Amino acid sequence: MTATHHDPPHTEYPAHFEPPHGPTWKAFFGPGIVRGAWMAGVGFVLGMLLVLVLRRWWGWEPYWKTDVILVVGGMVAAPLGFLGGIGAFDYWLYYISGRPTRPEDHSGHGAHSWKDYFRVNTDHKVIGIQYLVTTFVFFTIGGLMAMFFRAELAQPGLQFVDSQTFNGLVSVHATLMIFLFIIPAFAGLANFAVPLMLGAPDMAFPRLNALSFWLLPIAGVMFVSSFLAPGGAFGAGWTGYAPLAEGQPLGQTFFNMGVQWAGASSILTALNFLVTIITMRAPGMTFWRMPLLVWANFTTSLLVVIATPFIAGSQFFVMFDRIMHTSFFTPEGGGYVLGYQHIFWFYSHPAVYIMMLPGFGIVSEVISSMSRKPIFGYRLMALSLMGILVLGFSVWAHHMFIAGMADWLRVPMMITTLLIAIPTGIKVFSWVATLWRGRIHLNTPMLFALGFVTMFVIGGLSGVYLGSVPIDIAASDTYFIVAHIHYVLFGGSVFTIFAGIYYWFPKMTGRMYSERLGKWHFWLTFVSFNATFFPMHYVGLRGMPRRVFDYDEAFGDLNFVISIASFVLGASFIVFVYNIVTSWVRGPIADANPWRAHTLEWQVSSPPPIFNFDEIPQVVGGPYEYGVPGARHAIMSPGREAKEAEEVHA
Amino acid sequence: MRKGIVQLVAIGVVIGVLVTLVAVLFQWLPTSASEEFDRIQDIYWFATIMSIVIFSVVVAVVVYSVWKWRVPADDDLDGPPIHGNTGLEIVWTAVPAILVIALGIVSAFVLSKNGEAGNRPLEVKAIGQQFAWKFEYSDYGNFTTGELVLPVDREARFTMESVDVIHSFWVPNFGQKMDAVPGIETSILVTPTRTGEFAVVCAELCGLGHATMRAKARVVTQNEFDQWVKENRA
Amino acid sequence: MSAHAEALHDHHGPPEANQSSRVDSRTLGMFLFIGSEIMLFGSFFAAYFFVRVVNPSAPAEWPPPPYEFPVFVAGVNTAILVTSSFTMHWALQSIKRGHRAGFLAGMVLTFVMGLAFLTTQVVEYLNVGFNTGDGAFASVFFGLTGLHGAHVAVGLSLLLMVIIRGFRGHFSPEHHHGVELPGIYWHFVDIMWIVVYATVYLL
Repeated sequence: MTATHHDPPHTEYPAHFEPPHGPTWKAFFGPGIVRGAWMAGVGFVLGMLLVLVLRRWWGWEPYWKTDVILVVGGMVAAPLGFLGGIGAFDYWLYYISGRPTRPEDHSGHGAHSWKDYFRVNTDHKVIGIQYLVTTFVFFTIGGLMAMFFRAELAQPGLQFVDSQTFNGLVSVHATLMIFLFIIPAFAGLANFAVPLMLGAPDMAFPRLNALSFWLLPIAGVMFVSSFLAPGGAFGAGWTGYAPLAEGQPLGQTFFNMGVQWAGASSILTALNFLVTIITMRAPGMTFWRMPLLVWANFTTSLLVVIATPFIAGSQFFVMFDRIMHTSFFTPEGGGYVLGYQHIFWFYSHPAVYIMMLPGFGIVSEVISSMSRKPIFGYRLMALSLMGILVLGFSVWAHHMFIAGMADWLRVPMMITTLLIAIPTGIKVFSWVATLWRGRIHLNTPMLFALGFVTMFVIGGLSGVYLGSVPIDIAASDTYFIVAHIHYVLFGGSVFTIFAGIYYWFPKMTGRMYSERLGKWHFWLTFVSFNATFFPMHYVGLRGMPRRVFDYDEAFGDLNFVISIASFVLGASFIVFVYNIVTSWVRGPIADANPWRAHTLEWQVSSPPPIFNFDEIPQVVGGPYEYGVPGARHAIMSPGREAKEAEEVHA
Repeated sequence: MRKGIVQLVAIGVVIGVLVTLVAVLFQWLPTSASEEFDRIQDIYWFATIMSIVIFSVVVAVVVYSVWKWRVPADDDLDGPPIHGNTGLEIVWTAVPAILVIALGIVSAFVLSKNGEAGNRPLEVKAIGQQFAWKFEYSDYGNFTTGELVLPVDREARFTMESVDVIHSFWVPNFGQKMDAVPGIETSILVTPTRTGEFAVVCAELCGLGHATMRAKARVVTQNEFDQWVKENRA
Repeated sequence: MSAHAEALHDHHGPPEANQSSRVDSRTLGMFLFIGSEIMLFGSFFAAYFFVRVVNPSAPAEWPPPPYEFPVFVAGVNTAILVTSSFTMHWALQSIKRGHRAGFLAGMVLTFVMGLAFLTTQVVEYLNVGFNTGDGAFASVFFGLTGLHGAHVAVGLSLLLMVIIRGFRGHFSPEHHHGVELPGIYWHFVDIMWIVVYATVYLL
């Protein structure tokens, strides 16, 4: 598959060390998925024993408590066993044990065959692709769930599933899409592109990067396997409000804990991005010469590091209430029900910016290079990202306008919510102004970027409606919200993810996708997306609440239309998968720079060399200097150029 | 250049007209049956006009740009190196700011008016439980019913309570909604303006029966209401 | 390909990244991590705030009678932890100056005091007279102090790593990053305790 250039795996063992065992031993006992699987089992057993022994010692009957054993054994110890088994902790364990440090031999770096994608790999380019493939698997699962419940919703009444399953489907659908698709897909694209764009050989902490990736499938498995729990999958929505979440059957615990693993993955990655962007930029790359994708990931990473711990806290409290009978949110014990919502939304509002800002960065890259023009108003674009970051922390209670919180909080939150439309609007107008008088290449990445701009305007405007408290009072918790969410998350974020994948596909794989299939994918998606979600504004305003398996007969026809459109939307994804897979396997070989873009990732081969650059480039100008003859973003091999210049002058 | 601007404006007008038709030809909002919803619908239209304009402008520029300046794939020229235009950037920062602040002011005003309880509103408690609504009339000796009946043109103050999880009390035609939260009391005002039958819907996921947690609301004349009270409090 | 270029391609590792900031990357990483930890504590402080201040039915007296918080025992524990920060600082200063004995003694003392803190906390839990099921005040008590205790445990693991490697002679006046970073974490744990103690026991 993806062959990186130049370097075969090169393992230098210290003198006294001999490779000990043959291939069979290695497959079972060496770091890898097989060892990960059985060490997960060992972890579960140890966790279970720990609980049993401690409960016996303290005399807490019954000794066998399913939820405690599930959490400790199944959701903490087993994942840790898995991670240890695949080798994510190897270096640190070696370090902790105090043995002499061994020089990094880079044997864990890079991909020479498909197998390298299924192990702990320190190469950010490999990790990026691992993220993208994993997230698209969960996108498929979440999407199938959506089509399943849309089948149920096509007619009034209950036809295919019972209400517990229905609630489970809508809850797991949203949870997967948010935590296992949008957030980590952006992390994956950024993982691939950002170090290259910075002129860095890798991320600041490559081993941590690898660990961050492997935390993610753990969360996904937890969410999906909740369907197997007695009582069914967690069914309190992805928002998991207390007190409903606290009385739910065992499946809810899968949500509480899965969020922790996904959150940990997200935070560690963000930390890595921040340190990389701050400390590893190529010489000459000031902050004002960074590509906007880097700016976007910088602000997103700040959001992640600061906000994500709050959702962790919210889920801890629900778990404590469920398992240890605490009273964080139970009024009988003095708890405060609305506290859950405040703590939850303090993360989950910034989360929507975490789910959008990287997309803004992608769109800036695509529109600029496909219009052959600098991004209009670069500085204001960067500053508006920072503005959204700051303001984004001050609007969370707009999710609680009808929650019964203190009245005096509503107008200030309305003001900050309406104000955040301003930096967002600046971005939309700037993208559109970048198109003006450009030389526009309407290829697939550009189609998705322009589709994003138009669809995001609709989603953003419906958000302005909802920012007005009185309108929100009428429209909250209805299908109007579902429409808004999907316009900004699908028409918004997902469109930018598609744009980014098509854009960087040649760089990642060394092959070109089919432009014809790409255009089919875009138009099928664009039309069916609008047919699915636009009518939801209507049914919502007219009286259909959200998260219901049944509704007023009057909404039957429109729901039917929406469901059919959603099946077409699901089918359009097949075009994408077919295109990507066949192009990856046997598409035409791509140039290093098929888009003739200026950013650094395009100045190296497709795919890039194993360590990105032979020499760290010297940045001498901005990243979008189209239209200026002779303008350069960077000198790629400054040492060699200098030497050659000397030879010429000599 | 002039011709271009005319074409751009024409595209914008066409888009604007189409979107306006969509906004106007379908009845997006349910028929208002309360004073509060009347006010909310006014702000809705303000926001809609604003949205039509912004959407039309953005889409018009996108469509026009792609039409005028699209090039084939093998074109390898660059566009002009336009980095920005301070005046334009000020305009498109200031105008949205003014628009959203205006929306905010109007909304704050409506919120305040919709929260003004006159003297002696009819007090109704809406009690949510999994999965049915109960309505309690404290002005009339605390009798409870499963059917909500209100006199027209008389302000009613709803106080919401919940005995288990969070529910949300909503009558779409009244345009007012408020969660029923265990451990606290919430309230919302409704002044019905027309008689008729309406639906009470639960708008917060409350468990397996969330979709079925509905009730009937009837708005009747004052006389009919008094009659109904007499029949029920016995 | 020129000989020069070939030589460049034949390396077995990445080119050295440019250092675009005076801030050391690992130190920055540790501070960012501590930032997210502070936010995690923030969510627990928020829960405390909601339950004690915002809740309209919060009890007038805190903790509600007949319960009481063991202010004195926790105060002694505070003194232990604060002292351990000083010994940690002493350990770091020692290794910077090459005084191995002082470094090791400081590390061990820090560890022992941290362990004493945790042990005292466990005993306190067993004798405090209420448990997690006794209402919101107990929930936030165990929540905040428990979260902190978990972080002490993490800190102790880091200190143990330093001690193991320290005894094996891995640190020197030139190479002591592996002491400095756990030290920063330990100071964070200490300062956070002061905030937790003040909030839970004194306010």
